[in-house]
Amino acid sequence: MNKRDQHHTTGSIKFSRRDFMKFSGMTILSAGIVGTHVDALGKQQVTWGFLLVDMKKCQGCTSCMLACSLVHHGVENPSLARIQILQNPYGSWPDDLTIAQCRQCVEPACVAACPVGALAPDPEFGNVTRVDASKCIGCKSCIAACPYTPSRPVWNFTEGHSQKCDLCAYTPYWNETGGPEGKKACVEMCPLGAITFTKIVPDQNREDSYTVNLRGLPWARLGYPGWDTPLLDTLFASARKRTGGGR
Amino acid sequence: MNGYAGKILRINLTTKTISTLPTSAYEDWGGGHGMGSKIFWDLIDRSKLPSLRAYDPDNIVTLMTSPIAGTMVPGGAARTEVQGIGAQTYPEWFTHSNFGGRFSSMLKYAGWDGVVIEGRAEKPVWIDIRNDTVRIQDAANLWGLDTWQTQERIWSLVTGQDAFNNWIELDEDGSRTTQRPAVVCIGPAGEALSRTACLIHDAGNGAGQGGFGGVWGSKNLKAISVIGTGGISIADPASLFEVRLWAQRTYGNDLNHPEKSSWTWFGVRGTEQINWGTGGRARLHACIGCHRGCHERAEKSVRNDSMCSESFLLNYTRLKDMLLKTDDAYYPTSMTQKLGINASEVLKGTSYLKALYKAGVLGQGCTIDCDLPFDKVGSREYFEAFFTMLIQRTGIGNDFAEGFYRAAMNWGRLEEDLRSGILNYGYWGMPTHTYDPRCEPYWGYGTLLDSRDINEHCFSFIFWKTSLTLGHPPLDAEFVVNLVTGKMAPYDDDPLMLDFSDANLYSEHQAKLVAWHRHYSRFWKRSVLYCDLRWPDFLNTKGPGNSGLTPEGEPKFFNAVTGKNLTFLEGNAIGEKIWNLDNAIWTLQGRHRDQLQFAEFIYEIPFTGGGPFAFYYMPWYENGSWSYRKVNGRTLDRQGVEEFKTKFYKLEGWDTETGWPTRSTLERLGLDEVADELERQNRLGRE
Repeated sequence: MNKRDQHHTTGSIKFSRRDFMKFSGMTILSAGIVGTHVDALGKQQVTWGFLLVDMKKCQGCTSCMLACSLVHHGVENPSLARIQILQNPYGSWPDDLTIAQCRQCVEPACVAACPVGALAPDPEFGNVTRVDASKCIGCKSCIAACPYTPSRPVWNFTEGHSQKCDLCAYTPYWNETGGPEGKKACVEMCPLGAITFTKIVPDQNREDSYTVNLRGLPWARLGYPGWDTPLLDTLFASARKRTGGGR
Repeated sequence: MNGYAGKILRINLTTKTISTLPTSAYEDWGGGHGMGSKIFWDLIDRSKLPSLRAYDPDNIVTLMTSPIAGTMVPGGAARTEVQGIGAQTYPEWFTHSNFGGRFSSMLKYAGWDGVVIEGRAEKPVWIDIRNDTVRIQDAANLWGLDTWQTQERIWSLVTGQDAFNNWIELDEDGSRTTQRPAVVCIGPAGEALSRTACLIHDAGNGAGQGGFGGVWGSKNLKAISVIGTGGISIADPASLFEVRLWAQRTYGNDLNHPEKSSWTWFGVRGTEQINWGTGGRARLHACIGCHRGCHERAEKSVRNDSMCSESFLLNYTRLKDMLLKTDDAYYPTSMTQKLGINASEVLKGTSYLKALYKAGVLGQGCTIDCDLPFDKVGSREYFEAFFTMLIQRTGIGNDFAEGFYRAAMNWGRLEEDLRSGILNYGYWGMPTHTYDPRCEPYWGYGTLLDSRDINEHCFSFIFWKTSLTLGHPPLDAEFVVNLVTGKMAPYDDDPLMLDFSDANLYSEHQAKLVAWHRHYSRFWKRSVLYCDLRWPDFLNTKGPGNSGLTPEGEPKFFNAVTGKNLTFLEGNAIGEKIWNLDNAIWTLQGRHRDQLQFAEFIYEIPFTGGGPFAFYYMPWYENGSWSYRKVNGRTLDRQGVEEFKTKFYKLEGWDTETGWPTRSTLERLGLDEVADELERQNRLGRE
């Protein structure tokens, strides 16, 4: 059985994938009214906030990784970043680059796998799942359980515990309030706007539901593919206007 | 030591000794070039400098990072400064080059502020850095591979895997990264000891000028690989985050609203200097931490990250390839990256060969016998033959590998072809940069006073902004001049520095401009390693009052990272110290003011210029008012250049007769020991 198809436990509430799909379908139908449906279902343990990325737009500068490490740890260390950019200098666009951000799974395998309950929703910050470092015993079960590659829970080898994206709920080195209702360092810092945040639950059954097109007309005007339709891109490329910016 | 890793890796390839230098001993020099020069000074046998050559085992090469490397400082986190005695110039000077990408950041994450290479390995080796673990590895299986193949092979050797989609566990403590090792290496050109050979990192980051590829080849050094999992401590993380966002949003264009584009050097609208045009099925691509990429990665990956000089090779391909953007159109560009060849040499060299062929001097059966298929100039077949001859040193490819200045010398044509200008090598045996000394003399003067084409575009925006050919509505000349020079402390009271009129070509104002440019660049650009393509930011139509980030930005980021309280002017003063140390090294190498000469054509042939450079408008002061005037069509005057040199040496406090540093100047800068050494070797300038 695929790890993604397993039945997971989220806090004290059990979700099956079927349950969740019913629920996420409701969410999509009622797009825009997020947060309220949490109460409607009485299942407050689910994280209601998700990072979406445009991998065709990303310029690979890793500013998001540097921002993440900086605000959480006060150091610049990509290995501690809870969002990872993987890229191949010799690769062909768009497959040369992958953004691996935590999907804040509705049925988080990492939470289910933790033998000591160190991963739990934080009600103070929209139930985003966090790792309580004081409880973590360093078994890395959460890392092994993550169905995605690379694993989104990150091993903090400098302190000996795992950690994961908390949507910037706890950022001791940043003068901003984070969490689902606040700012996210990677979103703020990305110079191209290739990361965005939503409260609408992405389809948990689709690999690509956490990617989004953030390019559109502006990108077409810059001469890059604005849409994922080559014909449209070609049409707009021909209408491209270059108004300065060169030297 | 916030911002610094704390130690510098020192490797002697002859003795196979691996040791460390404490960064703290060099912290006063900032980083990058300053540290590299001081380390070179400390470690080289200075008594041998007059005769030490680039390919001598005793030559030392440094690769230095900076305190802002690997951080989110915009346009500054990714540069590596390379120094040593270079093989390209004539004569061979202690020189420098510089490349971006992710090598410097990875080196910092591995815990190193730089690498010092001494000696020569008995057989080909590569250096394998994994955090604190450093090994000298056998490169027998890498020798002969191109730069891309070499890097891919090393990624695999280091990580034990060919796929890079997961965490790579590095040490027993569980430290891990998702990033490939960062590798800088030479290609077949470096192995062939070509003076045109460069260092290549990833797809298209190159330390092009200086011939350091050949220097590495002479040391039997194929590559340096580094992978690290450590962190860089930041003095004020919250402040760094805030100033980065402030700079990015206040001074950079928002690419999501291109219709509102402003003119800024710091935050340009998109890429620049990609000759086949930006865009298409590609992404904008940036070095580590940069807010605005200048490269692209494309569906046609052969052109990944190529730009500027190498992309201009497109113009040398056949018209149909150029227009249709066939694979052959990108062939010469990609081959300079893969073979590790300096594209500027290929550009100017190709023009030179074509001119000689046209004159009937070079070709099959001609005075200079050459097998190149000139009937297929620009074709893939032509370039294949050219590159093969160069890297194999077959036929007159042996001369190509020496660079086209020395090739002309070997062919007995140097004097004639420099006089006519068909050999467009204006200074130190190097290709003349587009910003020609006859139009922008400070660039040429800086190059003569330095050791290479300076390639520092601090003032180039004036041409691009004001050139009528590009359709930019020019800003008022007086406004621009006052705005820019007002930021040029300590000479901020002299707007005539930017007077490009005929009457001002050899003046004290020019001397101040050149001095400021050398001092600023030595520290902020080459030691703190702010990128030349983003800094300084003088004029910015998005900034308040059209004013850019400079001089506020440079120290703001530096201080947020290091916790120091350095001012812009203090940074320039450190730049002056570094500049003086460099001149002391050149002086010990044998430099004398008489050697500082442009090629004959700079004095004899009026500059015409092609493309936008045919309409070369610059600020001009005459009869009490400023305007933009065309500066094409002029030459420099030999006597005038001599007058400039005297004025410059006086301004710098150097000996006007020799150009050597004086004791009083060196001691003012805290370089007493340098003065002592010059005196010991009878090379101290007269007061």
